[in-house]
Amino acid sequence: MKLIVLAPEDDNHTAPIKWAMEKAGQKVVCWAGLSWTDEGQSSLLMNGDDTLTLGGHSVDAGDVIWIRRPEPPVPNPKVSEADKKFASLEYRCFYHSIAYFFETLPVWCINRYSAARVMIQKAVQMQLARKCGLKTPATLMSNNPAMVREFFARENARTICKGFTPHVWQKEGKMSVAITETFELTSDQLPNDEVLTYAPAIYQERVPKEYDIRMVLMGNHIYSYALKNKKQALDWRQDAGLGHVTAELVPTPPDVEKGVLEFARQSGLCFGSLDFGVDAQGKWWFLEINEQGQFLWIDQFNREARLLEKFCAFVTAPQGSTLPLEARQDLFPSLEEYEELLKKEQVPPVGRPRQEDPFLSMEA
Amino acid sequence: MDQDNRVLTRRGARELSEQEVESVTGAFKTRRTLTPCFVDSKQQFLNGDQAIGECGP
Repeated sequence: MKLIVLAPEDDNHTAPIKWAMEKAGQKVVCWAGLSWTDEGQSSLLMNGDDTLTLGGHSVDAGDVIWIRRPEPPVPNPKVSEADKKFASLEYRCFYHSIAYFFETLPVWCINRYSAARVMIQKAVQMQLARKCGLKTPATLMSNNPAMVREFFARENARTICKGFTPHVWQKEGKMSVAITETFELTSDQLPNDEVLTYAPAIYQERVPKEYDIRMVLMGNHIYSYALKNKKQALDWRQDAGLGHVTAELVPTPPDVEKGVLEFARQSGLCFGSLDFGVDAQGKWWFLEINEQGQFLWIDQFNREARLLEKFCAFVTAPQGSTLPLEARQDLFPSLEEYEELLKKEQVPPVGRPRQEDPFLSMEA
Repeated sequence: MDQDNRVLTRRGARELSEQEVESVTGAFKTRRTLTPCFVDSKQQFLNGDQAIGECGP
């Protein structure tokens, strides 16, 4: 068995996990995604036995494929201008063929591409969560001004607004930025109708939350962390970056655990990061799931979490194993050890410049 | 910023000062490289829970 990670080697989760797995004697290879370069090339041969190669690596029975953060397909830039659009679509279609084809092979995908494609849709998540018995806030996704105003007219209800995707606006020539964040809005603060058509948005009943939960799902195993923010901010993400958040392991209520495992079963996801808000009565409200959400930061905030070791134990256990990950987590080194090496520059740095970021815009 | 034709989500976006961006990005080198949403001002990319690349366009 080997772990095939679909992500650049210097992705901030791939690098420490690859390091930890290799230290424990496991084989790990990375494939950043389909591209025209030697390492980005792929072949799928269907001729009796099906064979799939990703760069220089074959996909073999028993492999685990972690579809972490593949880069979008990159056609050869030397292709004729007249053929660029066609080549780009061909690359995209071939990538999709590869990603879906994994599911036909005797390998374990984390997660299956078909499940990920569906479950990345926030509307589908909310609906399925509700069906699985999880408590969800009333939600409107719309670009229709009349519907938005009607939603805001609910009695005795507070409403938040958030985007479908994160985004950053950076001022030309400056370092200051603006980052999308969940924010509260009243009907009086709604802009004119036309603005509501500039971009669809998610309008949601404000959960009267006392604190947030970040839950990490690894197969049948669930780990929940209470995120407490000194400033009690509506959205804890930026404050986490600024170090204002604590992450404490908390038990998952049995009804929530049951709902999440049913959600995982019905969605086909075996891995993901889920967000909940907990109200004054202790009720957990499902907010969202990111099937490849960040999780190692919890190890930085709570050294006892050991999610890096748990993830390594998860991907090296048989698919569907119910044995506690804690029983095998000691086989792997910790994120703290990796960070020490990173500080001493004894492991390669993480992150790298991207040519184009879909989540970044410049503004005057 | 001309607010008249900006999307609603931009109006509600959180402004991080140059100092905040610096303090955050400075800290990335040691402790915060993995936070669930961060901007790397030097490399100019947003790294977070979602990625367009994770499921393709």
